[in-house]
Order: sequence, then structure tokens, then C-alpha cells
Amino acid sequence: MYRHVARRLLLLFPTLIGMSLIVFMAVRLLPGDIVDVLTAGDTTITDQQREQIREQLGISGSYPEQYARWVGDAVRGDFGISLRNTTPVSETLGVAIPITLEIVLLGLLIATVVGVPLGVISAVRRDSSRDYASRLAGLIGISIPSFWLATLLLLFTSRIFGWVPPYSYVSPFDDPWTNLQQFILPALSVSVFTMAIVMRMVRATMLEVLSQDYVRTARAKGIAWRRVILKHALRNALIPVVTIVGFEVGVLMGSAAIIELIFGLPGVGWNLLQAIFNRDYPMIQATAMLLATIFIVVNLLVDLLYGVIDPRITLE
Amino acid sequence: MAEDAFLDELAEQELTRRRLLELGALVGAGAAFAGGVAGSAFGGGGGTPKRGGRITWGLEADPVHIAPFGGILTSNHWGKEFMYDSLLEWDRNLNIRPALAEKYDVVNKTTVDFTLKRGIRFHNGKEFTAADAKYSFELQSNPPAPGSIAVLGQFPKIANTQVLSKYKLRINLSQPDATLFGYLAWSRYSPMVPEGMYQQLNPAREGIGTGPFRLVNYTPNDRVEYNRYPNFWRKGQPYLDGLTLRVLPDEQARIAALRAGAVDGASLLVDSARAFRGQSGFQVLRGNTAAFRELQFTLKEGNPKPWFDGRVRRAINHALNRQEMIQRVYDGNGAYSGHVPPGYGPWPLTQQELKTKYEKFDLPLAKKLMAQAKQERGFSVTMTTFSTPPDFPALASVIKQQLQQINIEVNIEAQEPGTFAARNGTGSFDWDLTMRGMRGDVNGYMAEFNPSASIYSRWYPEYRNQKMWRLVGTGQIQLDQKKRLGIYKELQKLLLTQALIQVPLIAVSKFQVIRNPVKNMYVAFSDFNTGLRYAWLDR
Repeated sequence: MYRHVARRLLLLFPTLIGMSLIVFMAVRLLPGDIVDVLTAGDTTITDQQREQIREQLGISGSYPEQYARWVGDAVRGDFGISLRNTTPVSETLGVAIPITLEIVLLGLLIATVVGVPLGVISAVRRDSSRDYASRLAGLIGISIPSFWLATLLLLFTSRIFGWVPPYSYVSPFDDPWTNLQQFILPALSVSVFTMAIVMRMVRATMLEVLSQDYVRTARAKGIAWRRVILKHALRNALIPVVTIVGFEVGVLMGSAAIIELIFGLPGVGWNLLQAIFNRDYPMIQATAMLLATIFIVVNLLVDLLYGVIDPRITLE
Repeated sequence: MAEDAFLDELAEQELTRRRLLELGALVGAGAAFAGGVAGSAFGGGGGTPKRGGRITWGLEADPVHIAPFGGILTSNHWGKEFMYDSLLEWDRNLNIRPALAEKYDVVNKTTVDFTLKRGIRFHNGKEFTAADAKYSFELQSNPPAPGSIAVLGQFPKIANTQVLSKYKLRINLSQPDATLFGYLAWSRYSPMVPEGMYQQLNPAREGIGTGPFRLVNYTPNDRVEYNRYPNFWRKGQPYLDGLTLRVLPDEQARIAALRAGAVDGASLLVDSARAFRGQSGFQVLRGNTAAFRELQFTLKEGNPKPWFDGRVRRAINHALNRQEMIQRVYDGNGAYSGHVPPGYGPWPLTQQELKTKYEKFDLPLAKKLMAQAKQERGFSVTMTTFSTPPDFPALASVIKQQLQQINIEVNIEAQEPGTFAARNGTGSFDWDLTMRGMRGDVNGYMAEFNPSASIYSRWYPEYRNQKMWRLVGTGQIQLDQKKRLGIYKELQKLLLTQALIQVPLIAVSKFQVIRNPVKNMYVAFSDFNTGLRYAWLDR
């Protein structure tokens, strides 16, 4: 197992190098750079001044030079400074990461806590009214765009209750109640799609598992139905669900960008969107690399979790 | 103090038109002698102002930084405008009046002496002196990070400054430059800071000014918090105890926050603002701003296109029905705009002139001009525009329909702002549906028609018009205000009849929704939230 983990961690490096090349080139393939954005509308600016600004911002020189400079600095833990406000990128991300992580984790929690039981009920009570209701809910959940739901929730609570979530970010360690008020609607908004996916996946795998011989054997041995479902069937049905949940972390991080904007939470996605519009290269590069790293690490954790859920699976 | 009394007090401080002329103000006064349209919307301005309370305002964009010098974005200034003052300022009608300067004397065509008000103190208690002004001008001429030298196009031809005494500063111009006073009154790029401020703090996040509010905290992407500065030089102001600017980029979030009372006011698009009309507890403010939409062509060498023929450009101008654009895209909220937007002091052509002559919708004339240019069968062209805000694609669709009537097939290409800016800046387009914003001086709207401007060679290298060039050049150095007015009127007429290398379309109204207790707020023509300096709460 340790060898497997070590191998996966070593694979992280070539993956990140590949990612860094793609991210670096992708942002430079976008038409225009920050100087174009900065000088938009200024009809008096000269080419010489544009070059001067590029030098001032440290984005002059050939692409290989810029890439080497960026990677060299990043290896030393220096992700550069934002071209827009000269704030260290690491400082901005330090504020943004907890916000995005909280939305994603809370969203995942809601999705699994609601989605798994719904899927189980739906499978166990197949073709009953509960099953139809769960499936309909799942269909709706998949169909609703998270940004639309977020907007609707916000307008609904403001119109009906005269309430909107507090805007300025409060850490859960400082004030858990205010923090929960802030994050419950964003987390709910991003969770609905994942919840529906989890519910449908649990239902499908549970239906398959419930028809297996060992489930029938367990029942024949006189084990209580509830215990058969929870201990024997559900545990085996969870493996594909865990895979999906791992994958959904990426989806949730993507959805979080728009949700953060709607709820005024300055998370990673908000910063990334702004950075893209502004061609803030250091910020885009660092954020994209961060998101890629999180995605890879989460999938590694999911791999490790397989062995915990099903001891028959070895990682050698 | 009653508002009338307050205005009277301000009027006493103002440089009157006669006084301006006496002083030889002549040198500029940018948008002085204001017209009556700008900043016309007031939020429940009646009654006696009350002290106290705090306003939370929803900002559409994060300031990114609040450094006093070299900020590019309008939102930079939104974040910092309450903290700083300049030597001069505009009132809500764009009249220039003294701010930190008591008066100025035009010594000769390239020398202006400013006498500073005495006893003005910065937020840190230090007295404002000529040394601080000199320091501020030096930083304006070469903005340190996070500012950018990209703003230097707005900087007047200031060669250097001299401290004549503790309260007297001399500005030496490298050449006569009529834009100086408008630049100072705009205050966007010309705030005054204490000497050595950049060595004392992080100007991206902190600041020391003389403005009505003292900065408490700026949290990027979140909020800017201000508290009342009790020693503000305009006695009795500000009325509010504090001001919080809350960053809410999403329009629906601002609406929800308004309804829930989480913010007291915010700017909204016309459709959203309309939903608040007639609702108890809210007021909808409307005003013109300097942002006008226009159609822009390139006329580049070695690549002749149908619109290189002036008759085709004139045909396009007369085939465009601006009133229909205003009705269909902006729900009737807009005005015809020439190259200088309506409301910009005395400088623009009148609505009457535009509607009945220079921008008259006249389809038969347009068709006739196309025929004269042997373009009856028309042509096809790509028009690029912004993908957001949504009025740009909508306006492009209306233009497309209107120009079909003279057989011009317009292919619309909506681009995200960065891409659009890059292509616009390099002249890599045929037609652009774009916009112009606020300028410190009327000359700012004409700078691109100056053949020595670098952009001219990218946009219009094939276009030659000696008269236009002469008028542009003379307008900038002409120090007599009356003569300037004549020059710019003539230039605008020429641009709309002979040149038409840009076809101005319409000026768009801006909407702000405030909750009822907010008084004396107005939509500023400059697109800033200047009204919050004078606002008060009637709880």
C-alpha cells in the first residue's frame, strides 16, 4: 500500500509539470494581455509605454524565460504577485481557499447525507411511490443549474423573509452560527446536482447488489433486513459512489466559482474568474495549479478509500 | 444645515464664471459652465440634513486596490473616492470649484500658481501644505505600483512643480495645456496625499487623505469601510457616521441585498431598476453618465473597404435610428450622443441639433448616398462588440437590422472584454461597437483624432483631414475658454458631417436604487458614487 501511495505521489510531479505547461500556454493563447486590459480605451498610449508596463509587471521576455521564472519561483514557494493589485498570490489564495473548501465540503456533506438514504430507500422500495418521488427529485436535481437555484434561493429569502446571508466572510472557528448562515445556501445550491447523481448511483448499485447471492444468503441466515441493507448491501454498493463523489469534488469546485460570485464570497473560483478577465497571469496560474492539485489528491484519497470500504481490494 | 443653505455656502466658495474669466481660467476649466443634464437625479434631497447613521452601498466590482495614483479601473476610484480630495473639484453639475486650493492664478500660458487653503489636516493630523501637493504631483507623473503608467495619457503637460511657500504651489507646464483644470477637478488621478505616504503604508490597502471619510479597512473582494472624518475641511460634513462599500458583483445579489436591507443602495441595470419603481421603501434614481455607445471604423492602408468612402459612412449615420435603439434596448432611457456626451457641460451639440441634423434618421438620404457611392447592393462586414454587459449584443442586433435597409449585412462577433480590448487597441477590426467614458477635459474625447496620437496610425492611417487635425491641435492649446467652446463645437460638427470615422450613437442612463431613508444621493455623471459624500439618513 505504501508503495502504491508513493508511486501515486511520484506521478503527481509529471502530472503537475504537464498541467503547468498547459496552464501557462493556455493563458497566453488568450487574445490580449493585462496591458491591453489596463490600457483599454486609452487612445494616447504608445507602443513604447506598453512595453514599459510589461517590463514593470514582469511579463516581458520570451515564453520559455517566463515559464522558467514562474516554475523556479513556485518551487521556492513564491507564486508571484497579482498583476492587478501587487498582493502576493499566496496571500489572496490563503483567504480564498477556506471559503471554497467550505462550500465544497458542506456541499458534499449535504449531497451524501441526503443522496445516499434517498438512493437506498428508492432501491429498497422499488416502484413504490417513494421510489417515484426520489427518482423525480433526482431528475429535477440533475436538471437544475446551480447558479439558477442560487439566484432563486437568494431572491426568495430576501423577498419572503427579508433575509440574505451575511456577506463578509466569518470563519467557522470564530462564529460557527454566522458562518453556517453564510454557507448554507451556497452549499445547498452546489449540492443539488451532486445529490441527484449520488442518489441515482446509490439506487442503481443497490438494486444490483440486492440481487446478489450473498444478500440472499444473509437474509436466509435470518439477519435482520435493516442490517443486511446497511452492513452487507450498502457497503458494497458504495464503491462506485465513492468514485463519483471523488469526481464530483472537481465539479463542485467548478460550480463554486459562480456560486461564490452570487453570494459575494471571495473564494478561489471568484478570484480565478476575475483573474481570467484581467489576464492576471500569476493569479490564474497559481489558482489553476492549486485546483488541479486538489483534484489529484482527492482522487488519490478515493483510491485509498476503496481498500477501507472493501478489504478485498488491495492497492498492490 | 438646510440643503439650500449648503448649496449657497458652496456657491460662495465656487469660482464663478466671471471670476474664472478674470483669473484667466481660460486655461481650462475643463467642463466648467456646466449644463443642466448631468447628475440630474436626486434621491429625496428635501429636508434638513441629519447627522448620524451609516450607509452600506453595493458595489458592482471590487476596487482591486485603493492606491491613489495610477488606478485604471473605475472601481479603483469607487473604493478610494471618499478618502481623497484634489485641489479642485466638480459639483454635481460639473462646475469646477475649489477644493483644497483656495484659488489659482494663471501667471502666463505655462505657469499657474495655486494658493492652498490653510488649516486643512490629513486623516493622520498632519497639515496639508504645498510640499504635500508637490509630492502628490510627482507620484501622479510616475505612478508607483500598484498604479500603472497606463494612466499617463490623462496627465496634463506638467513639467514640474515648485513650492513657493507653505501654502503656495507653482505648476509649470511644458506647453500650454487647457486640460489641467479638468484633470484636477475630476480628482480621479489627482488626489493629494501627505508627503512620504508611500513609505509609511501599503497604498494598495491603506491610505491617508483629506476627504470626508477616513479609511477603516479594505478587504479585497469583500468591502471598504469608512468612518466619518470629524475634521473634514468642509464644516458640518459629512453627515454620515460611516460608509461601507460592499462588493456584490452579481446583479441579483444586489437586488436581494436591497430588498433584505443588507445594503442601502446600489446601481442596477434598467430592467432590474424598473422592478423597484413604485415600490414603497425604495427610490429609483436615474441620471446620464459619460458612457456613450458608438460605432467605430478602421480605415487602414492597402486594404480599401466600402466605408472608406465618406458617403458610405454618412449613409450609415443616417440609416441608424437612434430613437429606436433607445426604445428597444434601453426602454426609452437614453439620449442622442455626439462625440461629446450630452451632459458634459456646455461642450456637446444640443439634442435638437443631433436629432434634426447631424444624426437625423433619414433612410431616403442614406439610400441616395449609398447609390452615389455605387454601393446600392451593399456589402458584408464583421462588427465586433463586448459580450457583456448585455446591452452591447442587443444594440448590435438593432444596428444589424437597421443597416439591412441599406443592404449592409453586419455579422456580429461578441467578444469578452479582454479580447475586445486587445483587438481594439491594435486596430485588428473592421467595425467595433464600443463605448467611451468620462474624461477630465473635452479634449479627452478628441484625442484619438489627433494624427500624432499613436492610436491614429492603427485606426485611421488612411484618413486625412487637415481641418480636423488643426481643430484638434488648437483646442488643446487654446487657453481662452470661449474660443475653445467654438473650436470644439465646430470640430464635432465636422466629425459628424465630413469625417464620421466614429459614429456616436447614444448616451445611456444609469440607474441607482436607494432605500427611502437615504437622502441627497444622486447619479453622478462621472460614473462615480460622489453623491455619498453628501448623503444623509432620515431614519
